[in-house]
Parts: sequence; structure tokens; C-alpha cells
Amino acid sequence: MGVLEVIEYTKIEFLVACASSHVRDGENVFGGTGMPLLAALLAKETHAPRANLISEAGFIDARPRNVPLSVADSRYYFGCSAAIGLIETLGFILQGGMIDVGFLGAAQIDEYGNLNTSYIGPYDNPKVKLPGSGGGNDIASSAKRLIVMMTHDKRKFVKKLDYMTSPGHLEGLGSREKWSMVGGGPEVVITDICQMDFDIETRKIRLMSIHPGYSVDDVLDNVMFDLIVPDKIPTTREPSKDQIEIMHKLDPNGIYLGKGG
Amino acid sequence: MTEPEVEDKRIDIAEAAKKVNNGATLAWGGFGFQRAPIAFSHELVRQGVKDLTITTCGSEVDIEIMAGSGVASRFEIAFAAIEALGLSYVMRRRVADGAVQVEDYTNLAMAMRFLGGALNVPFMPLRSMMGTDMARLSRYRGDDKLKVIDCPFTGEKICLVPSLQPDFSIVHVQRVDKNGNAQIDGIVGEDIELSRCGKKLIVLAEELIDEEEVRFRPDQTKIPAMYVDHVVVLPYIAHPMMCHDYYDYDLEHLMMFHKMTSTEEGWREYLNDYILGVDDHHAYLNLVGWERLNSLRATKPWGY
Repeated sequence: MGVLEVIEYTKIEFLVACASSHVRDGENVFGGTGMPLLAALLAKETHAPRANLISEAGFIDARPRNVPLSVADSRYYFGCSAAIGLIETLGFILQGGMIDVGFLGAAQIDEYGNLNTSYIGPYDNPKVKLPGSGGGNDIASSAKRLIVMMTHDKRKFVKKLDYMTSPGHLEGLGSREKWSMVGGGPEVVITDICQMDFDIETRKIRLMSIHPGYSVDDVLDNVMFDLIVPDKIPTTREPSKDQIEIMHKLDPNGIYLGKGG
Repeated sequence: MTEPEVEDKRIDIAEAAKKVNNGATLAWGGFGFQRAPIAFSHELVRQGVKDLTITTCGSEVDIEIMAGSGVASRFEIAFAAIEALGLSYVMRRRVADGAVQVEDYTNLAMAMRFLGGALNVPFMPLRSMMGTDMARLSRYRGDDKLKVIDCPFTGEKICLVPSLQPDFSIVHVQRVDKNGNAQIDGIVGEDIELSRCGKKLIVLAEELIDEEEVRFRPDQTKIPAMYVDHVVVLPYIAHPMMCHDYYDYDLEHLMMFHKMTSTEEGWREYLNDYILGVDDHHAYLNLVGWERLNSLRATKPWGY
């Protein structure tokens, strides 16, 4: 037995590695930009080489050699198998039920995994206009599985959203079915301190695993709703040295990972 | 067969901008960082055009410019931010002070609205937005933002969005012949549908090519001349954004823009220096500097 190696990582590296573990080989994945894109690329470089990375701007089976800054960035172009358009990706592919996994971030999330990426403050007099849906609501409505990635902050895990941009499990079990949604809704919420999934009976958010160095109280102190806490809570697997090395090769200038690390 | 003479639809960008009346509705092409008609947004500012309604999926620097200058006061869009850099500061301030109203749709919803307009049908169905505030809340469109109905065939819930047939469609492409046959390299985003839905279509292109070249590779024509009313040919139309196979984005300028627009004073300074302070697009390019612009030239096979 060797000496136990201590691996150092940043919160972002942990989030990316953790998210990549949810991409399975051969799946059709909406990558976008930022941390989700790095997660999808990392998955392709490690356990899911046949994952089909799609950008909503129209790139299919993309293998960018430099990290794109925009979903429409030409860095997505070379090596992809088809460069088409938005009706293709969001219409035929996504609404057609062919996207296995999509990723979204959010400014606010509620206990059913519904997301706000539009407004902080009242709709009629918003304090902050956020980016809006983009393809987010389309993805949340129609991707088979949705992975939500966000940094953990009490103000983001709210009882009531200022605005519901994208559907999670709406009001709970059966409510997505009422709107004949194509996709299954959020499966996992990954933050920099824990992973959460959704209770099968109620579709309410539930603690799934805690990242090393954090406690249940750290999680509970940082949510404004009643989080379901199971009796046994595993520790989230740390990123491997390989994973961290690979993600820095994918983002050598630290555009998304930051300069450090 | 004799060669028929074709119409030369070329006009300069100032003439093109003058055709847009105050209060008109525009379908705005480009997607994300790709093929944004930035030069046309500059010219609309210079011509003093006001109170437009801009309809698009997701534009970034150009909608900041149009929101900040008063060129546009209404937006029917899915997304406003500068991807990878952060929030759209100008849009955020204009929405907060009520100068700009945003009617929120999704990317697919906007693409479907353009498709519906192009198909000349009044609405299109889609499976997004239902169950959320996007379907519950609206601004100036009121009940005409969308409708959620029970499908008359299956009974399931379906969302209907109104088609768009705006006064103008504005599309930026790589190449065009003088008659308007337009070629797009790389992804098309929503520009196929968007270019067909407007009452008038203005195509802005980086390069003028011969009709012969079009007819030699007709599969490259993404917008046939029959749809096109006016053609504007200029280099670096999308700067500081990108144009596939022609030039990369100018990250330094983009970061400067984003930083300056974080305050109203900074935005005013940018507006005065780079848009109102120059006579035309060529003067803007001179100000940016040709050394910089040349360094952005795309290389093969990458396209950026």
C-alpha cells in the first residue's frame, strides 16, 4: 500500500469533476459554455469518450481543441461532425427527445429544483435583470436528465423564486406530466459543498452526498427551505489528480478554471 | 441561353440604416459571438433611429448598444449577457429604470416565431415555457405573448407562440453577390428562419463575390437572392464579435467594452468614442486599428 496522497483542488475543479461523473458514455449532451462545457469535455477525455457533445447554436458531436467562450464560438467548429442551426439542436434533437443530459446554472433554485435565471426582485420592478432563459427553459423542459451546477449560497437556495425561468419538478410529483414535458427534470444539483438529488415520492430536493471537509450543518445553514436529509450520507468522491490535470489541459489559460491551481 | 442582367441591390450602410423608421420591428440575426451585425447597430445609433423593437434569440454587444442608445426600447428575446464575461450591464440598467421592456421567450420559442413568420402561418406550437413564469407573466404583449392550450388532436398541453413578420430582417453573412445570394459558413443559428420572415431583408456581408461563384457552388447559398431587398458589403461587420472563416472575436476589446459598460459613465464614453465619435464603420475600424484587426484574421482549417 502506498502513502495516501493528498490531492489539492479548487471549488471549481471539484464542481467540474463531480459534474463530469454524471455524463455516461455514448450520451447526447448539451454542453454550453463554462463549467458544464468543461465537465462534458472532461467526461469525453476520461470515462465517456463516445459522449456526443452538442452546442445549441448548431454544432453536433463537437471536439473543440480550444475551449469555446460562446455556444456559437468557431472553436466548436473544427472536428465537429455537423454544423447546422438552432431548429436542429433545440427543435429536432432536444424537443425530439434525444438529449440525454443537459446542464444549467441558476441564480436561484427552490426545493423542487425550479430555476431562476431571469430576474432578482419583483417582475414588475426588477432590481437585477439576469441573462434570461436562453435555451435554458427548453433544456429543462425537454432533456431526459438535467444537472444543475451552482456555487452554494443561502440566498440562492430559496423557498420561493423571484421568477421561475426553467421548470424543475414544479409543484412536485406528477406536475411535469400535467404539462406533457418531454424530459424528466433535474436529477442532481451540484454545489461546491454537496450534491443533492430528488425524493422519488415527492420530488423534493434531498441531500445526496457531502464534499470532503463539509458537514450536514454546513449544508443546512446554506439553504432557505427544508432539505430532506437521509440517515446515511456518503462523502462525495474527490477529483483525481488525472482529472485535474486533464481539465487544465482543456482550459490552459484558466478562462473558466481561473489562473490558480 | 442569354445571361439575364441581375439587379444590383448594393447600398451603403448609412442608406440601409435610414430605411429603418422609428418604432419599426426588426428581426436581428447572428447568434452568441457569431456573425453579430454590430456595424449595423452602430449605424442605427449614428442615424438617430429610435424606439425599435428588436426580436432575436440571443445577441450580446449589439443589443447592449441598441438598449443603451435608445435605438431600441422593446426587446423580444431569450438571452442578454456577454457569454463567459458576465451580465449585460447596459440592459440591466435600462430594465431597472424602465427605459427598456423585455418580453421573455426561450431560444426555441424565438426560432419558432421566426419559422412561423417565414411559413406565413399565425403561430407555432412548442413544448417549452409551460408551467413556469415564462408562460404566466408578460409585459407589453399582454395575452398575446403566448397561449397554452389543449391540443385539439391529442388533448395534451401545448404552448403556442405568435409568428413574427417584422418590418426588417437584418442578417450578417460571410459572402454575397450583388443580387443578394448569400453564403453562410459555419453554424446558421436561427438565421435561416429569421431571414425569411421579415417584410424586408437587409443582408450585410464581409465579401462580395461574383454570381458565377454562387452558381458554381449553389449548396453554399443559405439565403437565395429572391428574399433579399438590400445588400451591404463591409469588412469586420461583427467586430468585436466573430465571423467564421473571416476573423476571431477581439477579446481585449470585448473585455474593455464589458468593463466600460459596467457604469453609465463608462458606457457613455464608449458610445462617444467608438460609435458617435466616428463618421462611419471604416473610421471605427481605423480607430480599433488595422494591426489589431489583421491579427484577428481566421486561419484554416480552424475558422477563427
